[in-house]
Amino acid sequence: MSDAPKRITLEQWDLQYEKLRVAGAFQPYYGGPLSRHLKDGDQRLLKLRYDNSAAALRLWNFLLTEKNRLREARAEGKRIVGTMKDLGTVPVMAYSFDNVVAFYPDGAWWIPCVMELSAGLLEIADSLGIDESFCPVRAMLGAFVTGAHFPLPDMLVCSVGATCDDFSAIAQRLEGLGHPILWWEMPHRRNPEPDETAVTLPGGFSAPKRQVEFVQSELERVKTALEELTGERLDAEKLSAGIKKANQVRRCLSELRHLAFTAQRCPVPALEMLIAEMLAIHFCSDRRETIAVLGELLDEAKARVQASVGVLDVDAARIFWVNPVADLQVMNLLEDCGGRICGTEYLFSHALDEIPEDLPPLEALAQMALADPMAGSSIDRAERICADIKMYGAEAVLISRIPGASHCALEGQVIAEIVQEKFDIPVVEIEVPPVTDSMRPTVRTRLEALVETVEARRRVAPK
Amino acid sequence: MRTIVYTCPYVPAEWIAAHGLRPSRVMPDSVGSVFSLAGREGVCPYVRGFIAEVTKNDRGGAVVVTTVCDQMRRAFDIVTRKCELPAFLMNVPNTWQSAAVQELYTDELRRLGRFLIRHGGKSPSNDALAAIMLEYDIARTSIFAARERLSAREYAERIAAFGRDGPSSSCVLRDASCVERNTQYAIRNTRYVPLAIIGGPLMKQEFRIFDIVAESGGRIVLDATETGERGMCAPLDAEGLREDPLSKLARAYFGGIQDVSRRPDSELYDWFEEKLTERAVRGIIFRRYVWCDMWHAELGRLKDLIDLPVLDIDTAGDFESEENRTAGRIGAFMEMLQ
Ligand code: SF4
Ligand code: SF4
Repeated sequence: MSDAPKRITLEQWDLQYEKLRVAGAFQPYYGGPLSRHLKDGDQRLLKLRYDNSAAALRLWNFLLTEKNRLREARAEGKRIVGTMKDLGTVPVMAYSFDNVVAFYPDGAWWIPCVMELSAGLLEIADSLGIDESFCPVRAMLGAFVTGAHFPLPDMLVCSVGATCDDFSAIAQRLEGLGHPILWWEMPHRRNPEPDETAVTLPGGFSAPKRQVEFVQSELERVKTALEELTGERLDAEKLSAGIKKANQVRRCLSELRHLAFTAQRCPVPALEMLIAEMLAIHFCSDRRETIAVLGELLDEAKARVQASVGVLDVDAARIFWVNPVADLQVMNLLEDCGGRICGTEYLFSHALDEIPEDLPPLEALAQMALADPMAGSSIDRAERICADIKMYGAEAVLISRIPGASHCALEGQVIAEIVQEKFDIPVVEIEVPPVTDSMRPTVRTRLEALVETVEARRRVAPK
Repeated sequence: MRTIVYTCPYVPAEWIAAHGLRPSRVMPDSVGSVFSLAGREGVCPYVRGFIAEVTKNDRGGAVVVTTVCDQMRRAFDIVTRKCELPAFLMNVPNTWQSAAVQELYTDELRRLGRFLIRHGGKSPSNDALAAIMLEYDIARTSIFAARERLSAREYAERIAAFGRDGPSSSCVLRDASCVERNTQYAIRNTRYVPLAIIGGPLMKQEFRIFDIVAESGGRIVLDATETGERGMCAPLDAEGLREDPLSKLARAYFGGIQDVSRRPDSELYDWFEEKLTERAVRGIIFRRYVWCDMWHAELGRLKDLIDLPVLDIDTAGDFESEENRTAGRIGAFMEMLQ
């Protein structure tokens, strides 16, 4: 375990880095002081608070060097595949090939935040008719136009059907700009009818077998296209090996989440946990390193829990967080206000569930794809959230609304109602834009109010 | 007879009618307030209007919603939670190229059939379905044939009435005086500027747009809204109809309606090109709802791909309060074109 756990500034991290370096701490090939990323324009880093462990440093450095990794992969002659919208399915397949690196162009979602709007990506999207009535993922269009944030992929794959309108519309615009896309159909997950064979999916939802078969046939199409791209055949054995590796990541995250959400003192801050969870969806362009990064973070968390130390007060209000935040700083803010994260549904819980290893691998992937909380009804998603609220003992729910997102307006209401019907706990909905600076006092007030409500309820009904 | 309400053009009315039920395509009023939805930003006004219409609908026996867009898909969740009507969510794929998605659509029709039977319908024989399909096809053909003899508004209203009431109501111009009046209308109005209206579905009050255009010296010669010609299925291929009418029906709808939700939506542009050329259109009114990403994103694409002037009119769904602004903008557009 490193020093006493705490959250520190970027400046403090540079000092801490020096200390670690002098002490001979291991540095991976992408290691170095965090502040060097400011040179890339990542100005938001100056305003964040970070966990002070070497494991967190490695996590951040890994995240912030993805662009370099993709460029290196291209230089090495690897095929780069942009997998869009399915969050965690096609990358598992792609990384089962020897010579493919997959990444999510959707990840450009966070560029306006990390670069504090200085990259001009949203302006480019505006100029293409994709204005602020769309979700921040519109930054992806700008990233394709500038080519400055990731190399242009050799192939683009995008799931459509039971997906958001924002992405579907933006991806179509992208294709119209000359970036061909392989579209695959993701049907809306529905409950099996009485005369249909039901399949219980990873994570607990169920779907009719024929839907699983349909998705499997769509994934077969994607697999064939990847085989044509690479000239390499992906047999069941290789795909099964890829699934096993993905499950290594998922198991590690599951343990980490359990510790972070249930330990008496929170061992890993919300921001680092959010980033750790994100690694599951496409391994940040390096699956092997993802496993190592998460392994180190898990070891740190275990050591802290064993030593009964953590980064937050013991009595921090236990908040379940729904949807990712467009501004990462808000995760810090919750903790500054006296809250801690006890459960999350960042739109990709299915990418955290283990993929069945006892099924033909493509069928297992199809099941996993169908388990996507966004592919089914908001009622299903709310039920999953409720199950996790119960498991992690959350005392309140925060639904972070994504500006412009087609799903947020209606599903937020459904989720809030169902949670309140089940648990009678406070639910707050806050819209979080990519940079919250101008509305920080309002967001802070609402987070403080939520924490105070939790505290007041504890006084009335002490546990 | 129980009424089954729906709004999506991919729901074949014939299939519902063949089950002995009455299909009725809902056209919502201007935005109403629905439960606590009223204050929620980000909801497409048409979706809001649809939810309002369905929840207050006392004639309906059931409602069919489809997955063509995310907001409608989620509207289904609200309908199932807030409304007594039995509701069915039909999966309409966005991709269209493969046999597998075409089969998925046909499967969904079969599943819809089972739902209809659970709610008072009877399983149709192939003959019965084929007969109803022919009846609808004849009605549709007669509507198309009447286009040039009707004012643009009347034409749009006939399509809407056909959707609401089926072939019995509206489509055939039985009334001689109506034919006469409209023939005269067509003769009088040969010097108009031909326009197209492109976009999602219209709400009831929005038919005034056709009048506004006419009052400004234009005529909508192509109603490519979802509630207009674009939302009508392809003509029926009657050969061998009685052997497998359901597949023919699926082909006419899933293969015949071009929509913005399709991925890719290239065939929508083929359809636009063909119709815009055929009707010698000189300008496009692009009608879209605020918070509708699908159509909003298409505006830039339309401008890139179609070499015609485009007037973008967004609406929050309250036509009455927007009418003056809309009329002013259409007037200015027409001046530019004349
Ligand atoms: S609308 Fe939601 S699901 Fe879609 S890209 Fe944006 S955040 Fe992701
Ligand atoms: S207008 Fe747009 S958002 Fe509204 S129902 Fe149609 S496609 Fe969906």
